[in-house]
Amino acid sequence: MYTRRCLLLATLVGSALSLSAQEPSAAPTAEQTIEILGAVKQPLTLTAADLAKMPRASVTTNNNGMEMVYEGVWLHDILQKAGAAQGRDLRGKALASYVLAQAQDGYQILFSLAELDPAFFDNQVLLADTANGKPLFGAQGRFRLVVPKDKPGARSIRMLTKIEVVQLRK
Amino acid sequence: MKTRTLIAVFLMSVSLGAAAAADFDWNIPKGFPRPIVPSSNPMTAAKVELGRYLFYDKRLSANHTESCATCHRQELAFTDGRPRAKGSTGAFHPRSSMSLVNVAYAAGLTWADPTLDSLEQQALTPMFGETPVELGLKGHEPEFLAALRRDPLYQRLFPRAFEGDDPYTIQNVTRAIAAFERTIISMRSPYDRYRWSGDQSALSDSAKRGEIVFSSSERGGCFRCHGGWNFSRIRYEGQKNDHLDEARFFNTAATPYPAPNRGLFEFTHKPEDVGKFRAPTLRNIAVTAPYMHDGSFATLEAVVDHYAAGGKTSHPNKSHIIRPRALSAADKSDLIEFLKSLTDEELLHDPRWSDPWPSLASPRQSAKQ
Repeated sequence: MYTRRCLLLATLVGSALSLSAQEPSAAPTAEQTIEILGAVKQPLTLTAADLAKMPRASVTTNNNGMEMVYEGVWLHDILQKAGAAQGRDLRGKALASYVLAQAQDGYQILFSLAELDPAFFDNQVLLADTANGKPLFGAQGRFRLVVPKDKPGARSIRMLTKIEVVQLRK
Repeated sequence: MKTRTLIAVFLMSVSLGAAAAADFDWNIPKGFPRPIVPSSNPMTAAKVELGRYLFYDKRLSANHTESCATCHRQELAFTDGRPRAKGSTGAFHPRSSMSLVNVAYAAGLTWADPTLDSLEQQALTPMFGETPVELGLKGHEPEFLAALRRDPLYQRLFPRAFEGDDPYTIQNVTRAIAAFERTIISMRSPYDRYRWSGDQSALSDSAKRGEIVFSSSERGGCFRCHGGWNFSRIRYEGQKNDHLDEARFFNTAATPYPAPNRGLFEFTHKPEDVGKFRAPTLRNIAVTAPYMHDGSFATLEAVVDHYAAGGKTSHPNKSHIIRPRALSAADKSDLIEFLKSLTDEELLHDPRWSDPWPSLASPRQSAKQ
């Protein structure tokens, strides 16, 4: 079970991240990106450098007694940047929307769009790119979600490559 | 006044004992949790030292031919290399010896017994069990304890480890052995250096790809049963029990599960429990062949092929996790390279866990004559 300690971190973390991002990682040489697409006004293709410029947040988890501090950007901030319906705009047909997250190996999980909107629910879903100060690598992927309010870890999807917003009612 | 002094001395010794236990040096790498230790058997260096001598002492078998270490050899990550363990009278155990590595963290003990709660309790089975006979001590308790009492080395070690007029008891023997077993901790494999210390050079590219196959639900799915840093379900100090109670026993369709190897069923007698066994840790798995509860798979290749095929048989209790996996020959090879990266070479040779008895003319040797 995750424990959580959520902190909004400003410029200090941003500069620490830019330092750690220069360290070599296990990732293939091509820079890895994450796509935000579907029912959004502005589809995005983000790199770790792009995420470093956004408001940073962190979540502390406990995995079998090992404490991990994940840092990244709240998923709702990324959805806002992409122009997904949020707040007052999340009503009517837009309420029948979901967010599909997909991993490199084809694994998929989803949230309702409202579930990720702070106006509806204090969700704390983090799109993480570092753990304990180091860029994610290997089986974690370069990006992952961390969902501290979920009891099982199944939606804390690793090796994340794509986030698609799907509106069911047009 | 005299009584007060005695009480004060007693309290002082109790608090000193508690301090020694609290100060016990586990030598656990940063970030890993400490194991849970029963309050009835706090860790002390003296107890661990005694436990190490007992673990390797062949007087623990009635005919002085086997010790705990016979079936739990350090160089094999505390397994025995046999498909099924062989007891001191030649009787074979229906199941394969399990590794003792990180056993202090095990959420449950043995392949399928849901009732055992502690290593202290478990030690009684090999010592006194009769189905099968392992060490065969049943009925030989008086001479066993007398032999310990006579030994000059134990005359030094027992009183240091345990208080009381007569520390030579079966309960103290199991306490000391359990304390020693709890120290057998492995967290220094190449994979640990890669995953937890970020040493990218610790693993080959093949092993790195294998980690991804292992950790992917869509590909290997291995982590579903062998998850977490110990690749098995664990308990640890400070654990909160608010996680989901996942199934702890799995039928992997590896054999037809003939009696007495029906797993959890042997204890519950529920048909749905036939063939259900624990998923043991995968640490040092490359040196613990043969595999599975009955040693029926000789190699890691055979195990990986078995799981990739979705099981050998079509058992009705087969876990839903066991299904055919589209793994290429390269995927399987990568997976095996990853499994090999879990071998902690230090553990296999660390003198802290080696046989402490002199190789010649030891007290246990003379006891045989």
